Amino acid sequence: MGTESLSRALVEFFPHLLPEGILVAIACVVFLGATTRAGRNLWYLLSLGALATGVLLIIAQGPPLSGSNSNRPETFASPVLFDNLTWFIRLLAFGGGLVFVLFSWSEVPEKQAADFLGCMLVTIAGLSMCGSANDLIGLFLSLEMISIPTYVLLYLPRYDEASQEASMKYFLLSIFSSAFLLFGFSYLYGLAGTTNLSGILHALDTTDVRDRPALASVVLIMVVAGLGFKITAAPFHFYAPDVYQGAPTVGAALLAFIPKAAGFVALLRVLGFVFPAAVSARAGIGMAFGDQTPILLCFLAAVTMFVGNLLALWQDNLKRLFAYSSIAHAGYMLIALAAAPLLRQAGRNEGADGIEALLYYLVAYGAMTVGAFAVISYLSTPERPIETVDDLAGLSRSHPGVALLMVLFLFSLIGIPLTAGFTGKFLIFFGALAVPGGERATLFPILAVLGMINAAIGAWYYLRLVAVMYLRTSVRPVEGKWCPAGLAAVGICALLTLGLSLPPGADWLVQAARKASGATTAAAPK
Amino acid sequence: MPPEPGFDLSAYFPIFLYLAIILGFAGTTLILAHVVGPRRDTSVKLMPYESGMDPVGDARQRFDVKFYLLAIMFLVFDVELLFLYPWAVVAYREGGLPAFLSGPVFWGVLVFIALLLVAYVYDWRKGVFRWR
Repeated sequence: MGTESLSRALVEFFPHLLPEGILVAIACVVFLGATTRAGRNLWYLLSLGALATGVLLIIAQGPPLSGSNSNRPETFASPVLFDNLTWFIRLLAFGGGLVFVLFSWSEVPEKQAADFLGCMLVTIAGLSMCGSANDLIGLFLSLEMISIPTYVLLYLPRYDEASQEASMKYFLLSIFSSAFLLFGFSYLYGLAGTTNLSGILHALDTTDVRDRPALASVVLIMVVAGLGFKITAAPFHFYAPDVYQGAPTVGAALLAFIPKAAGFVALLRVLGFVFPAAVSARAGIGMAFGDQTPILLCFLAAVTMFVGNLLALWQDNLKRLFAYSSIAHAGYMLIALAAAPLLRQAGRNEGADGIEALLYYLVAYGAMTVGAFAVISYLSTPERPIETVDDLAGLSRSHPGVALLMVLFLFSLIGIPLTAGFTGKFLIFFGALAVPGGERATLFPILAVLGMINAAIGAWYYLRLVAVMYLRTSVRPVEGKWCPAGLAAVGICALLTLGLSLPPGADWLVQAARKASGATTAAAPK
Repeated sequence: MPPEPGFDLSAYFPIFLYLAIILGFAGTTLILAHVVGPRRDTSVKLMPYESGMDPVGDARQRFDVKFYLLAIMFLVFDVELLFLYPWAVVAYREGGLPAFLSGPVFWGVLVFIALLLVAYVYDWRKGVFRWR
């Protein structure tokens, strides 16, 4: 393998990035269109077309066959990697993008609609790129592609003080967390001598644990701190309630889903939870920075769940409530991440692998949370905004159908059977319970029990919403508006929440998540 | 961890010497100025900027946002030049880029310029340059 063919790998990946390229090009067209007087429908149809084309391209391309690109030296030169995880995340980004475009159709004022849409398309392209990043610089840039348009998104549709506070707070804390992430990345580069993620994992994996410098734990802490901001893990969650409250509803939904998905994918990639096929995971997945990683994630998961659920009990503002709910759900997903290394080491063939459960939960969480936000947005009118829990009173009388869908999303968030939220929680908790004994025998069952206690605490504030909708009447009933696109977004989320909970849908998603987790290609050699 | 081969601490001796001299000089100057220097305060001397403009009004006043927009626009093109210079110097030199890379890199630079053009047209049409 000469250097020329290695440098060719630097060029040859461009055709593979066609879906993201189309999306960014359409975003440029929409930005230019924002300066003309054309109505929003043209730009929304154009972006729906671009996203649908992207979905079709990705489906047509199909997930790469396992082992087809194993041991290719180009992996260590190319800044992007196309494995099953990439395919999964791309589909998630583009599919989610379709829902977000429908969702925002009538939410944003006419004057800012095109600017808003352009920013949103760039964000979606960023999430998609994040799934394929194989280089620290590429990964950081794709995370910034998500963050920078989000600052604009938060401020665009509203000009009040809450909105200013939200965008300023998010901007300052986001660049602060990026600094942490870059700090960790620079140490990582110092450790491994390359910015290529496959190269870094290879270098760390071929070094014996005892020879590994203590700097590795500094990297671990910095990277988890920087990405913890994106997934709203507990000590880094402070911004979420204030920002969600001040953001437009679609902005809050976007914040609840896209940075979280990107943060988890980046954690999977950087901490070596999903190994590229060219690198063999000798020490097991997730252990690249030492076997303290699961312990760190365990504590993070426990604190995150409790902070999210307990503080949500006190909230009266709907968006604040869903902000704390999204923190709590990040905690559940962290359980899956923490349990993943030991589960994979045990090499069990039946039951859920940790990463598989995490990816399943990510999709389920996206469907139910975005769905709940879409209902709030659908019911809000400028004359009668839905801000607090009490604003939902009497919804079962004025909008029985929408109230039923909201109940579906809330039941899914609680984790009641026949919803995707239940299946996801089932996979996560039973995965954690199944971690085989050893020196940390008690840690994971305790974590699973803590998770179940938290699910019970969570039921209280979700059921409170159901009670308000069904048992109370309102002096001034919810008006709502007729908006087919918003209703379509709610409908898609409801279909996913129901469809992914039962065998055909659930099986398909679990299989896709299993392929993406790389469980078949990297069976643990012990 | 064993020291790297070829590492010789004595090679860094001049640097330590230099550091000691600098610190010594700085310290001595400060102490001397404090001890020896005469001190006669006049009203002019006590102004924040002794030889500058006389301060008029409050420094914390609002500036028109147009200044910032223009400054950002200027920075964008400044940085663009910074990116273009290395490419222009390296790309067509003997032994510079390999032949198969020159095409993709050329198109990459064109895309970069096109993206900036989009931003420029956006600014222009949004009325950033209109100095009302």
